[in-house]
Amino acid sequence: MVVVYPMTEMDEQSGPPITLIDPIDMSKLDTKFREQIKSMPNGEELSACFACSTCTAACPIANIWQYKPHQLIRMIILGMKEEVLSSNEIWLCLTCFQCQERCPQKVRVTDIFFDCKNLAAEEGKVPPNIIGLGKELLEKGQLYTVTADWEREDLGLEPAVPGLSVDSMKNTLKKTRTNKLVEGGE
Amino acid sequence: MSASNPVLIIGAGVAGMTAAVELADSGIKAVLVERQETVGGNALDLYKAFPTDDCFYCFEGNRWRPGIRKCFYRSALIDQPNISLKMNSEVNTISGTPGQFTVTLSVGPQYIDPKKCTMCGLCLEKSKAFHLISPQCQPQAVVYNPSINDDGAKQAEEECPTKAISLNAQPTEEIIKVSDIIIATGYHEMKPVNMDEYSYGKHPNIITQLELAKIIDPNGESNGVPLKPSDGKPVKRVMMVQCVGSRDENYYPYCSKICCVFALKHANILMQERDGVQVSVVYMDIRTYDRYERYYHTARESGVEFIRGRVSLIQPREDGSLDIVVYDSLLNKYLKFSVDLFVLSSALEPPEGTNKLIESLGLKSASGFVGIADPKTENEVIVGDHIYACGTALGPAEVPESVTQARAAVSKILQSRK
Repeated sequence: MVVVYPMTEMDEQSGPPITLIDPIDMSKLDTKFREQIKSMPNGEELSACFACSTCTAACPIANIWQYKPHQLIRMIILGMKEEVLSSNEIWLCLTCFQCQERCPQKVRVTDIFFDCKNLAAEEGKVPPNIIGLGKELLEKGQLYTVTADWEREDLGLEPAVPGLSVDSMKNTLKKTRTNKLVEGGE
Repeated sequence: MSASNPVLIIGAGVAGMTAAVELADSGIKAVLVERQETVGGNALDLYKAFPTDDCFYCFEGNRWRPGIRKCFYRSALIDQPNISLKMNSEVNTISGTPGQFTVTLSVGPQYIDPKKCTMCGLCLEKSKAFHLISPQCQPQAVVYNPSINDDGAKQAEEECPTKAISLNAQPTEEIIKVSDIIIATGYHEMKPVNMDEYSYGKHPNIITQLELAKIIDPNGESNGVPLKPSDGKPVKRVMMVQCVGSRDENYYPYCSKICCVFALKHANILMQERDGVQVSVVYMDIRTYDRYERYYHTARESGVEFIRGRVSLIQPREDGSLDIVVYDSLLNKYLKFSVDLFVLSSALEPPEGTNKLIESLGLKSASGFVGIADPKTENEVIVGDHIYACGTALGPAEVPESVTQARAAVSKILQSRK
């Protein structure tokens, strides 16, 4: 599989590729991505990562991820901005913080994924279901509305939550980026 | 046993010089035999040495540290009357019985008398046959290359203000009797010419770590600016690959122990002290044992790129750069880099002649290096009856370890003579 061309015949080879490997071209990656993440809140320790994969061992759901937590961190360090910010994984993160708790180099893994989510949102790369949640929040002022009122009845509670006021929340949310995201996403 | 007989020390590197000076200071005569024209061995080419990152020539700031003394005991080698330094010399045969060895030495011609030479530089102007290895070289003298025997050299011989030059010097054979032998033959950095996947020797910009150390040494040709061997243009991207020939059953099964720290030291120098150089390190495991973890930490802090995996493909391009495809086993992806310099962290191997020495003295071999006589004991410097070894003659070792072993060997000799 290893082919080394003698010095005389190089550059722009014609004909079939020498191997079937289609490598990621490092010169096309965003080398500033690492610095960008490092400059964000909780991102300073990023470069301390020595790729031990403790984060992936700690993660309760990484088995269903295409990119494991340690791979996402590697990708950030290598500058694979596009892949990281458009990955599903950063949104699937349960934010249980187990990776961050266990990291031997004090890399704030979960917080870095939050940073990634913020960057992705700025670029408008938010999955539709997350936009849906934002919409729900904006419209109802709360995420979990009371639906099964028979439960309240069974417990002897009044039908509506007493003192619940969602109007102020709705007003506040209108002025936040959540509103911009939802509007921009529509 | 003849206690007045001197001790033979083979090799004047870090370990051999330490042993010679320690013995001499304890009143025991030492014959220090060195194959090359300067003492210092491989350490001379290291530029900065770990664990202290000092320039290897001067340890001024660290004289108080155990294991390190200033400037390789600079003047002791010439001026200490108990040391007999034999440059350009080799051990031919060793016979006799333990405690009373008879050794024949091939002593190289002494063209320059280091006791007379003042390094004034007059001969350097007269002929290219003379050169000064470094201002701090030991012995403190210029060296002469007899293959350039021109009129300038003859003129220099006549005009040398201290009459230190003798162009007609001849090699001699000496027979000496010694009580003990200290083997301090050091190591050789493997030249991985047979490892096709790395193309070493086929492209000028593919080099080893020791070769890189010379390039970035401020005393070197480019004053420490990393330049491409192919065209002398500045190096912008460097890739290093670890475990070349080490931990490889086809070459050397052992871990060469110092290459990780060696590579990280160079990566840090390039990233922190040279302008705009980016370094990537391809590794299987980074083994920065003991105090050396800080090199790894500093390297990550300063932005060295670490790729766990192996090199799959090297393609030279017309401008002298190299396209390198690396398999990243953590990402399970192939990455393609374009680099100016590809540096192989090659294995440390026993130097030429080690086998012969082991056989003729009936010693044990440990993967080709000199083996400990009784592995069950903790006497790791005793390799035979009245035969000791120290430094990298015993296997890969760092400088402080070599110094400690040299002192241990001396201590054993002193105890045996009580």
